[in-house]
Amino acid sequence: MSLKAILGATALAAGLWVSAASAETLRVLAWEGYADPDWVKDFTKQTGIDVDVVFVGSDDEIWAKIKGSEGKDFDVMAVNTAQLQRYIDADLVKPWDLSKIPNQKQVLPRFQDLSKITGVTRDGKAYGIPFCFDSIGLIYDTDKVKTAPTSMSVLWDPQYAGKVLAYDNGEHNFSFTALTLGIENPFQLSSDQFATVKAKLLELKPNVLSFYTTADEALQIYQNNDVALIWANYGQQQLKAMQKVGAHVAYIAPKEGSLSWLDNWAMTSGVKDEAAAEKWVNFLLDKKIGAQLSERTGFGNTAAASSNANDNDKLVWLESVEDPLKRSDLWNEIKASQ
Amino acid sequence: MSESIAPAGPNRLTPWLASFAAFVVPFGFVLAPMALFLVYSFFSVDHGSIVFSPTLSNYIRFFTDPVFLPIFWRTCLLCFTVALLCVLFAFPVAYFLTTLRGRSRYMLLVLLLVPLLMSYVIKIYAVRSILGGNGMLNRALLATGLIDKPSMLFVFNLNAVLLTLTVLLIPFAVLPIFLSLERIPKALRHASADLGATNAQTFWRVTVPLSLPGTLSAMSFVFVLAIGDFLTPQMVGGQSGFTFGRIIYSQFGTAFNWPFGAALSVILAAVVILAIRLGGRVESSRGRIQ
Repeated sequence: MSLKAILGATALAAGLWVSAASAETLRVLAWEGYADPDWVKDFTKQTGIDVDVVFVGSDDEIWAKIKGSEGKDFDVMAVNTAQLQRYIDADLVKPWDLSKIPNQKQVLPRFQDLSKITGVTRDGKAYGIPFCFDSIGLIYDTDKVKTAPTSMSVLWDPQYAGKVLAYDNGEHNFSFTALTLGIENPFQLSSDQFATVKAKLLELKPNVLSFYTTADEALQIYQNNDVALIWANYGQQQLKAMQKVGAHVAYIAPKEGSLSWLDNWAMTSGVKDEAAAEKWVNFLLDKKIGAQLSERTGFGNTAAASSNANDNDKLVWLESVEDPLKRSDLWNEIKASQ
Repeated sequence: MSESIAPAGPNRLTPWLASFAAFVVPFGFVLAPMALFLVYSFFSVDHGSIVFSPTLSNYIRFFTDPVFLPIFWRTCLLCFTVALLCVLFAFPVAYFLTTLRGRSRYMLLVLLLVPLLMSYVIKIYAVRSILGGNGMLNRALLATGLIDKPSMLFVFNLNAVLLTLTVLLIPFAVLPIFLSLERIPKALRHASADLGATNAQTFWRVTVPLSLPGTLSAMSFVFVLAIGDFLTPQMVGGQSGFTFGRIIYSQFGTAFNWPFGAALSVILAAVVILAIRLGGRVESSRGRIQ
C-alpha cells in the first residue's frame, strides 16, 4: 500500500510538473524508469507536445486503470507481451501504424521483425512496440563453479547438492524446466508433459537449499550460505546488485532459451491524438535513450545493445500459461513432498 | 451501559449508540470477515473465476488429497513442539522474574518485551544470518574447533523453523506464566515450608501445579501464533520446511483459489479455537476451585 502511495504521489508530482502549458497533452501510463523527466522534457521541446505521466506498480493496476475508463484516460501505456493479450481481447488497444514510427526499423535485430515476437502482433497487426526487456538466466558463483555453465540443467548436477537457490513460483519453474527438457512450448503443457516436468522438479529438490522470493532475500541467503547457483528471476538487476556488494558471480543465458519478459508500448483504444502517441514511441526508440534506460534500470532496451542479451542469446518471451491454478497446485505438491 | 450511567431524559439514544459502537468493531471487523471465510469455503473456482454455488469439494479435497493431511499433521506437531519448547524456556525466566523485587523486576520484564516492538521480518532475517551455513553460529563453532565443517543441522529445514519460531515466540510465553506465578499467594509457600517441605518439594508440589493454568494458556498462545505463521517457514524452511500456513498463503497468492484457501483457513481456525479452549479449560476449572 505504502509503495502504491509513494508511486501515486510521484505520479502526481510528475503530472503537476509536466502539465505546464500547451494545448496538446499526451497521457502516458508507464512503469517507473520508462518515462524519465529529462526525456519528457526533451520530447516536449522537440515536438511541442506536453506529457502527463502516471506510474504504475503492478500489472493489475494497469488493467484497473485502462479497463476502468475503457481506455479513455490514457493514450499510451507500457505493458508486457503476456498481459497485452487481454487488452487485445477486450478491444482496449489499437494497432500501430509502423510507417509512422521510423525508429522501429533501427532497433536491435531481434526486435525488428515484430511478427517473430510472440504476442505483439495479432492478425498481422502490431499492437505492441517492444521497448524494455530482461531475461531470467542463471547466476553462478565463479569461485565454486569453475567452468561457465551453458544450460539450466546444471541445477540438477549432484555436485551442487544443497547449493542451489531456486525461485518460489510454480509457473516459471514449470516453464523453465520444460525448456530444459526440450519441450517446444513451455507455456502450453499437455498432461503427459506436466507429469514429466513435475518428476524433473522433484529431482531438483535435493539440490535446492531454499526457495526465495525477492532479490534481496536471495542475496542475504547467498551471503550466509554456501550457494553456487541461483535461478535469477530478477535477471541482470539481480546480478548487478550482487556484484555491487563484492560477490564473485557471473550470469549466463541458457542455451535452451531463457524465459524473458518484454514490455511494449501500446496505444489505447481511447487515444485522443494518434500522431502524438506515435511521436512519443518513435522518440523513445532512440539509441541514446535506450542506452540511458539500460544504464539507469539495468534492464535491456530494444534500441541499443546492452549487456542484457547478445544477439545470439535465445530469449523465450513469456506467455500466459495454460492453467495457472494447476501449476500452482502441482508446485505445492512438489514442495510438500518429503 | 447500566441504567445508572445512562442519563434519563432527552439523551436516551446515548446508551444505544455506545453499545452499537462497542459491537460494531467485533462484528464488523472480526465476525463478519470470518463468516465470509466460512461462506467462501463452500464455493469453487473454475478457470480463474469463483463459482458461487455451494459445494463441499474443498473440504473433500482436503481430507482425500494425499498432499494436505500429512502437511497439516506435520505442522500441528511442529507448532506443538514450539509451544513446549517456549514454555520450557520461558518458565525459568518467569520464575526468576518473580524472585526479583520492585524496579528491577519490571525493568527486566520490559527488556524481555522489547523484541516484540521490532519488525517480525527483521527478526527472521537476523535469525537467518545467525543460522546460515556460514552464519554466525557456524563460524563461532568452527572457530572454537567444536566442529570441523559447517553444520547443516539448523540450516533451511524444519529444525530451523522450529528454532526460529521458538526464539521469536518466547516473550509471548513468559508473560502468562509470570502472571500466574505472581498470583500464587506467598502464604502457600510459607505454609509448605512450615509443614516441613524442602524448597524442591514446594516448587514441584505447590508452585508448579498452581502455575499450570498460566503455563497451559502460554502454550496455547504460542501454538496459535506459530500455526498461523507463514513467513518463518518461507524464509528459513528451505526446500523441506513447507507448512500448512504456506499452502493457505499460496491459495490466496499464486494459485488464486480463494475458496480452497478459505476452506483451509476454516480448518485452521477450528484447530486454533480448539487449542484456545484447551488452554483456557484448566484456567476456568481452577477459577471454580478458588
